[in-house]
Amino acid sequence: MLLSITARGVFAACLLLLFQQPAIRFVPDRGVFLLEGWPDAVQQTPERRAELFTVSVDKPDVPPLLGKYSMENGAVIFTPQYSIQAGIRYKAVAMIPGMSPLSIVAEIPKRVVAPSTVVANVYPSTNVLPENQLKFYIHFSGSMSQGDAFDHIALLDGSGTRIEQPPFLIRSGELWDREFRRFTLFFDPGRVKRDLGPSLEFGPALQEGKRYTLVVDSSWKDAESNPLKQEFRKTFTVGPPDRKPLDLDAWKITRPRSGTRDPVVVEFPEPMDHAILLRELDVLDLTGTVISGPVGLDRDETRWQLTPSSPWKKGDYILQVGTVTADLAGNMVGRAFEVDLFEKIDERLIRQTRTIPFTID
Amino acid sequence: MSRFRMTLSVFVVLALFATASVAQDITSSLTAGKAELQSAGVMTFGSNGVLFVADSLGATIYAIDTQDRTPSTASSMNVTGLRDKIAGLLGTTPDQVLVSDVVVNPISRNAYVSVARGLGPTAVPVIVRVTPAGQLSTVSLDNVRHSKVALPNPGNVGTGRGNARAQSVTDMGIADGRLFVAGLSNEEFASTLRSVPLPFPPSIDKGTSIEIWHGNHNRFETNAPVRVFVPYKVGQQSNILAAYTCTPLVKFDVSALKPGTKVVGTTIAELGSGNSPIDMIVYNKDGKEFFLMSNDRRGVMKLPTTGLGSIAAITARVPNDAVGPSGVAGTAGVPYETISTLTNVQQLDKFNDQLALILQLNTGSLDLKTVPLP
Repeated sequence: MLLSITARGVFAACLLLLFQQPAIRFVPDRGVFLLEGWPDAVQQTPERRAELFTVSVDKPDVPPLLGKYSMENGAVIFTPQYSIQAGIRYKAVAMIPGMSPLSIVAEIPKRVVAPSTVVANVYPSTNVLPENQLKFYIHFSGSMSQGDAFDHIALLDGSGTRIEQPPFLIRSGELWDREFRRFTLFFDPGRVKRDLGPSLEFGPALQEGKRYTLVVDSSWKDAESNPLKQEFRKTFTVGPPDRKPLDLDAWKITRPRSGTRDPVVVEFPEPMDHAILLRELDVLDLTGTVISGPVGLDRDETRWQLTPSSPWKKGDYILQVGTVTADLAGNMVGRAFEVDLFEKIDERLIRQTRTIPFTID
Repeated sequence: MSRFRMTLSVFVVLALFATASVAQDITSSLTAGKAELQSAGVMTFGSNGVLFVADSLGATIYAIDTQDRTPSTASSMNVTGLRDKIAGLLGTTPDQVLVSDVVVNPISRNAYVSVARGLGPTAVPVIVRVTPAGQLSTVSLDNVRHSKVALPNPGNVGTGRGNARAQSVTDMGIADGRLFVAGLSNEEFASTLRSVPLPFPPSIDKGTSIEIWHGNHNRFETNAPVRVFVPYKVGQQSNILAAYTCTPLVKFDVSALKPGTKVVGTTIAELGSGNSPIDMIVYNKDGKEFFLMSNDRRGVMKLPTTGLGSIAAITARVPNDAVGPSGVAGTAGVPYETISTLTNVQQLDKFNDQLALILQLNTGSLDLKTVPLP
C-alpha cells in the first residue's frame, strides 16, 4: 500500500513535469528569479544554465546582471550579486533549446514618499561674513546623494541674479562626512587670496559691503533619491577681510563653581569655524584626563560651553586648543591663512596644541 | 590615472631621461580574507598585479592582489557607454553609478574602474575589470589576498562627541618603495600628503607636510592640498611632480619627503588660473620623456621632462596678462603643448608604450578608449 502511494506520487510528479510548461517567475521577497518546469535543467552545467537563463536591466545593449545560479526543487535559481532595486524594470530571458524564447519583465514598485529631507543648518550662523570667508558647512536632516552637488548650489548677488562663475572650489570633488549629512563648500582659495590668478581674473569671491544669497535648490536628491522638501536660502552681507591669526589672549573663560555641573564657558571675539571648534577644544584636568560631557556652540559660534558629565572638582584645569582651530577666514592659532610663515613652520609642526590654564574654586 | 608604472625597460640605461620608478613586489605580505571597503576611490597599480585602492569613507588604503598577471600584447581598447554597461552589470541605472577612477594593469592591460553602486552612504563599492576586448567583470572582494592601513584622522579624544572630519584621497603614487597619498580634508584646507611604507606597517601616525611657493602668489602657500601627482626619476633621483588646483606644477625630491618635515618644492610651471588638473602620466616617445596632464578646463597638456632638474624656479607672481613660453597669458615656466584632439577627458592612464587609455565624455556617454600618446 505504501509503495503504491509512493509510486502514484512519483507518477504524478512525472506527469506534472511532463505537462508543465517552463516558466520564469520573480520572487520579490527573495529578490531571485526562477526558471521552473524545465526537466533538462538539472542535466546542464552551471555555465550552460548561465548561458540559457539571463537577467538584465530592461534596456538595450546592457550586459546581464552578475549573480549566482543554483538548483532548487528542479528549478534554476538566479540570485543577483547586487540586490534588486525598486523602481527598475528587469528582464529575465530563457533560451531553452527547441523552444521559443521565454521572458518576463519584473519590477518592484518604488514606494512613493513625500520629500522630507531639509537643509537643517548652514554654518557659519552669522549673516555677516568676512570678504575672505573660506567655507560653508551645509547640514541636512537626512543622508544625501553625492555626484551632482554643485548643480544644486548657487550664489546670488544683491539683485538676486545668479553669479555665473560661482566662487566655490568645485573642481576638487565633493566633500561629505561619512553619513552624507554634512557637505563642505569651500570658496575657491584662488578667489579668496590676494594676488592669485583667479582672484584677479574673476574678482574676489565676495566683495565687502555687498549682499549675497546662498541657494540650495530643492531638486538635490537625498539618499533615497527623493528631492529636498524645500529650497534653502541664506542671505548675508560681507564685511572687511580678516587676515589676523587667532589671539588666545582675547578669549574669555567663565569658570563654573566646584560641586556644580554648570558649564565652563569660552567666549571668542569673533565667530569661529563650527566643525573645527567642536573637534579641537577640550578641557583637561591636571592628570591629563579629558573632561567629558556635551558641548554647545551658540551666539553665532562665538560661545563654546562644556557641561561636565559629573560635578566639577576643585583644582587646576587647562583648556586645550588645537592650533588648527580657525575663524571664518581660516586664520588659525598664531597663524593667518595667508601669511608667509615659512620661518615658523617648524614650530607649528611640533606644537599641535596650545593651552589656557584656569582654576575652579 | 596619474600613475607611474613599472616599465619593462629597467635594464635600459635611461640616466639622461626621467623614468618611472620600479615598485617592489609586496604580494607575499598580503593575506586572504574579505576586503571590507566602504568606498572605492582613486587607485594605482604596484608591481605584480597589486592594486592600491583608496577608501576615503573608511579612511583606509587597501593593497589588493588582483592575481591578474598574464602578460598581454593587446593593442587597443574601445568600450562605448561604459557607465551604462557597468550599471547593467550591477543591476542598476546609469544615474546610480559614480565612476571614481580608471587605471590600467601594466601587465595584463586590463582596465580597472572604481565605482559606487548608489549615491548615498550605503552605496556599494565595486571594482570593475574591463578587458581590452571589452568584457566586464568585477573584482571579488569577499575572499581576496590583501592588506590595509588606516589613515590617521585627528579628532576629539575620549569625549564621545564624534568626529565628522573625513579625508578625500585625491591621488596616490609609489616612489622609492613608499606609497604617497594626497588628500583633501572636509574641514581644513590643508595639505595632507602622506608617505606610507611598503609593505604596509600596522599603522601610520604622521603625515608629510609639504610647503610650496606659488609662482603667481606672492607669498608662501603653506598648506595648499596637492590635487594630482606623478612620481618620476631623473637618473637615480626620485621626484614627484605635483599639480595643485590653480595650477602650479611643483617638483619635489622624494628623498626629502620624510614624515613630520617641511619640504619646499620648486615651482617649475604655472599653467594658468581657473583650472584644475585631473590626471597625470609620464611616458617616453622618440627617445624623449614627457608628462601628459588632463585638466578640467584647459584640456590635455603635454610637457617635456627635459631639463626639469635644472630649470629655474618661479619665485614671483605671474601676472594674468603675461604671456608665457607656451603662448598663453598667465602662464610661465616649462612650456607645454595643448593636445587639441583630446577633449572632455575625465580619466587618463598609460595603456602601453604607444597608447594612453582615456575615459572620455561624448554627448552624455562615457567612453573608454585608447589613443596614441601624443
